[in-house]
Amino acid sequence: MIKIENLKASIDDKDILKGINLEIPAGEVHVIMGRNGSGKSTLANVIAGNETYEVDGGNITMETTDITEMSIENRALEGIFLCFQYPVAIPGVSMAYFLRSALNAHRKYQGKEEMDALEFLNKAKAILSELGLDDSFLKRSINDGFSGGEKKKSEILQLLTINPKLAVLDETDSGLDVDALRTVAKGVNKFKNENNSVLIITHYQRLLDYIKPDVVHLMIDGKIVKTGDMSLVEKVEKDGYSWLEK
Amino acid sequence: MIDILKKTSSDFFNKQGYPSKKLENWKFTSSKNLIKFVKQDSPDIVSRKIKTDESTLLFINGKLCLDTLENFKFKDNLEIQDLVNINDENVFAFSNTFSNDAMFNLGMSDFESGHYIKFKKNTTLENPVKIINFFGNNSSDCRITSFNIFHFEEGSQVSIIEKDINEGTPSFNLKLNKFICDDASNLKFGKYIEEKSDCHLLSYSYYEVGKDVCLNIDSMNKNSIFSKEFIEIDLNNTGSDAKVNILNLVKNEQHLDNNILINHNAEHCTSFQHVRNILDNKSTAVFNGKVIVAEGAQHTDSNQSNKNLLLSLDSTAFSNPQLEIYADDVSCGHGSTTGALDENSIFYLRARGIDQSSAQKMLIKAFAKEVIDEFSLSSVQDISEIALDSWING
Repeated sequence: MIKIENLKASIDDKDILKGINLEIPAGEVHVIMGRNGSGKSTLANVIAGNETYEVDGGNITMETTDITEMSIENRALEGIFLCFQYPVAIPGVSMAYFLRSALNAHRKYQGKEEMDALEFLNKAKAILSELGLDDSFLKRSINDGFSGGEKKKSEILQLLTINPKLAVLDETDSGLDVDALRTVAKGVNKFKNENNSVLIITHYQRLLDYIKPDVVHLMIDGKIVKTGDMSLVEKVEKDGYSWLEK
Repeated sequence: MIDILKKTSSDFFNKQGYPSKKLENWKFTSSKNLIKFVKQDSPDIVSRKIKTDESTLLFINGKLCLDTLENFKFKDNLEIQDLVNINDENVFAFSNTFSNDAMFNLGMSDFESGHYIKFKKNTTLENPVKIINFFGNNSSDCRITSFNIFHFEEGSQVSIIEKDINEGTPSFNLKLNKFICDDASNLKFGKYIEEKSDCHLLSYSYYEVGKDVCLNIDSMNKNSIFSKEFIEIDLNNTGSDAKVNILNLVKNEQHLDNNILINHNAEHCTSFQHVRNILDNKSTAVFNGKVIVAEGAQHTDSNQSNKNLLLSLDSTAFSNPQLEIYADDVSCGHGSTTGALDENSIFYLRARGIDQSSAQKMLIKAFAKEVIDEFSLSSVQDISEIALDSWING
């Protein structure tokens, strides 16, 4: 699904990613864990095309397309979806208008007809119901006045509406209570299938109790230094990251 | 009465001359642009040429077209007099701010005829009254002045939508209006200006507000090459509420200036000013907003907000929100922001597949929508949204 080769990136001349190699095949859930400042969120942003970061080397290939130089929106249309750690509030743009615009941008890119308002509403309401959100959620401005939990549920609503090929969850579990965490995990589990992939960036095991990863990567100082299975998560929970530096 | 007033104003202007930038209210707007315009007799325009309906009051070059009144469906609710026949000096009373402004005095000395239009006690109109101000002339650099007084008697509930139409050669329209809102009246006044000609506009609107009045002023201004608007509201009795919501869309080298002064002269009144400017190219916008809470005007609740969205590095916004408070039990706030579109918001929208241009337009609309949603008249909201769309895509 996505292949990252020797990816290097910096911000304000400070090197953050120092040669990332990562391949996530279709149907797999991968997890990246690491200390604060190790470059996890930078990797998520660089995959999504955030222009704040300078890509200094390497390639990102989505299926067969090299997206390293691609615009933010074209990456999204190629199937990349970033669940933001801190979703921005945009007063004045309703969730319904935003979601339908995003969905129809994807449909247009895929050569499909735009979805009419009624069909869209039916689709969105069904997802809202699964996330335990009221229909009035669609009338609210994007993330404006949302609680922490609502913001993360809003991201999952967008994920399920757009149905991308790769979901990158950047600390989606942070700041969630147990109920909200379950709801988010339920949404991600509903999303994943054999044709798409999920990359979870997290500090904690608790989300992984609900979403079982196939592969776990540990990141230190801008590099993936260890790859393994769920046992790595348990070791990190127990021993932290210092053992990786020995 | 009117002759004395005109003479006094003429003397004042002749003594003061055009205002300089040393004056606070003219600090960021040069009156030099207005000097070249000279008073001229404007040609008569046959009112039949201008499309009106039965809820329209038509003013041509500032003069009320009495012949269109025949079809005006609310005519039984009105009393109309020529200002020449008004001898009550209170009717002509204006605030000190206006009375001491040279351009206001120029207008008072200039105008040819005006009307006193009274909405009778307890008038309730089911539809808004449309006011069309048609300005037309054949000679260039012509100054056209108008002065009209609107009086809303006790208990009247009236909505007005005013639209300016300019045709012909570039002109300078100097508009003076007074609005008298008696106790328990409810006035929703919506203004929509979409300039298509090189017209300069300078307007003075003075609102004299009584007890338990509800006053809403909605204004949308698009593409004025030069527009300076003074709004002053005197909240003279208890329990009244005044809201002023303004959206300005400016581009190229257009210059737009809003001066709003709200005087809280009595207890338990509320006021709200919300002015948003969207500026592109080399345009300039000025906001001078002031609230004065007089001694004894306790329990005042007032807020003013000015937000400027700069779409170009060459555009400029001057923002000057001010509070003067002489009472000790009040709630007053003010704020001002000026900035470009938020890059994080653009990234967020683009990360969902929305292209950059659409994302920017979405954010511009969102910025404007927050003030459009505050407009009290749904028709002004609708007009504004359409005008905004065409401005963004223009």
